[in-house]
Amino acid sequence: MFHAKIKSETLKGVVDVVSTLVDEAKFNIFSDGIELKAVDPAHVAMVDMKVEKSAFEEFSADETELGIDLDKIKEVLRLSRAGDIIEMEQDEAKNRLVLHVGNITRRMNLVDTAGMSDPKVPNLSLPAKLSVTSDELQKGIRAAESVSDHIALNATPDGFEMYSEGDTDSVSLKLPKDLLISLEVTEKVKSLFPLDYFSNMVRSIPAGSVVTINLGSDFPVKLEFEIADKRGNVNYLLAPRIESD
Amino acid sequence: MGVNLSDIVPVQTMELEDLSGQRLAIDAYNAIYQFLSIIRGPDGTPLKDSRGRVTSHLAGLLYRNINLLEAGVRPAYVFDGHPHVMKTQTLVERSERRSKAHEEWREAITEGDMERARSKATQSSRINNEIVESSRILLTYLGIPVIQAPEEGEAQAAYMAIKGDVWAASSQDYDSLLFGAPRLVRNLNITGRRKMPGGREYRDVHIEVVELAKVLEVNGLESRDQLIDMCIMIGTDFNPGIRGIGPKKGLKLIKENGTLERALQAAGQSIPDSDVIREIFLHGERLDDYSLDWKDPQRDKVVSFMCDEHGFSEQRINSALDRLERKRPAKKAESMPASQSSLDRWGS
Repeated sequence: MFHAKIKSETLKGVVDVVSTLVDEAKFNIFSDGIELKAVDPAHVAMVDMKVEKSAFEEFSADETELGIDLDKIKEVLRLSRAGDIIEMEQDEAKNRLVLHVGNITRRMNLVDTAGMSDPKVPNLSLPAKLSVTSDELQKGIRAAESVSDHIALNATPDGFEMYSEGDTDSVSLKLPKDLLISLEVTEKVKSLFPLDYFSNMVRSIPAGSVVTINLGSDFPVKLEFEIADKRGNVNYLLAPRIESD
Repeated sequence: MGVNLSDIVPVQTMELEDLSGQRLAIDAYNAIYQFLSIIRGPDGTPLKDSRGRVTSHLAGLLYRNINLLEAGVRPAYVFDGHPHVMKTQTLVERSERRSKAHEEWREAITEGDMERARSKATQSSRINNEIVESSRILLTYLGIPVIQAPEEGEAQAAYMAIKGDVWAASSQDYDSLLFGAPRLVRNLNITGRRKMPGGREYRDVHIEVVELAKVLEVNGLESRDQLIDMCIMIGTDFNPGIRGIGPKKGLKLIKENGTLERALQAAGQSIPDSDVIREIFLHGERLDDYSLDWKDPQRDKVVSFMCDEHGFSEQRINSALDRLERKRPAKKAESMPASQSSLDRWGS
């Protein structure tokens, strides 16, 4: 059983974070909130998301799974305005999800979750940890996009750098320690990432958020941030590009 | 060809761009057959050069690989070695089918039935040494790795995927899964709008990715061994299978009985040499000594091979190659030739 009401913009934030990586996803519903783990088709990036019950205007649920085609939710979101309340209700008999916004009712078939097992979250020990605003990350990405299709994330005890190198040009955004919200780095680390993934993931982070970056050398990067007005949190993992041996 | 599992296999559709940065081991014969079948004139005649040599496969290999490389995919082609003796029956039948289709094509041409002619011609495609050799030459000029499998190309491609040297095996046949490929990429060579066999209908064909683990999970199979057992019952390239047992019935029998032997006993059937067939899938001959080294295309050689030797339009070949040149600067720029890793590597 699942029945909830949620602000349009909150739902949009949740959907954006997931739809960056997958078209369809399995939402695990619990009595105290929802959880989701998904990995993109190429297994390059993963999202691990938890949203508390309190992020919703109303929420009542028993443990269940909902396989959702995210494009359909987006279609409903496009019919709504910020501040609108969207009501969601599971129709168990017909295996559907029913959404109400204003006088519109949208009924959507749920996706079969049989093949959608939760991916295993890798257990990584990443030596460097720092926090930065999402706006700074956006800026670094914009700078990199004109130069290359990947981006190196470097952290030293003195600061954080986003660096891209193209054929003729290179670009770097350097953030010394005092421009960062926090920095815990004992030795230099560096990993290289595909810019398209990184850019799409960062773009789905709510504007003005603080992002905690966990980084190693030739290791996946972990991005942690909050959504749904701090009542939900997201971990993104992105696999590095590695020098072929 | 190969075992048909489309009814019970969960697929994920993807765009070519989603495969950017990934290495793929492609079943070369399978790809060449597709090009020979698809690339034909309205009456079913394949492309030929002035000396009468078939060139449909060259057009397909060139344009498709340029698309792949342009999208950032790294293809490697695995060619079949000697066929396993258990495959003889299948090969004989295929050959007969192709001869028959060829006869029917000529009939249709005489009768002026172009639709039928094209359909029959499609079924009569054959690969000869000249086609294999010209394919190898073109791929090498394009800087694409060519690997000679000891036996089945699919088995070798799957083995390379198991070892993690490539991201996936690519073939139209589901047999790659039986050979253990953790991931199978289908429709790599035929994406876009395609005419459906026989009909006049068009359909958009997308790349499909099939994951072995999901196939097992969705169907409640415990292991690849059970999948192999099931397919031996319904028929593979190495045995005809049991009449009346298709994927669904085969699945049920294996799940109820656990192994092929017990399932056969329960069904009151027998399959000669079933253990030999199982061994082909599990432990057939595989090659470890191969190199996956992508080089820059040798433009002059590609142009002279395609145009001087095989009569393609120089302008068209050049403009196709231009697309790669435009792509390359960005790639070259990587001070390190880094390739995209997968989260699987960290135990995801």
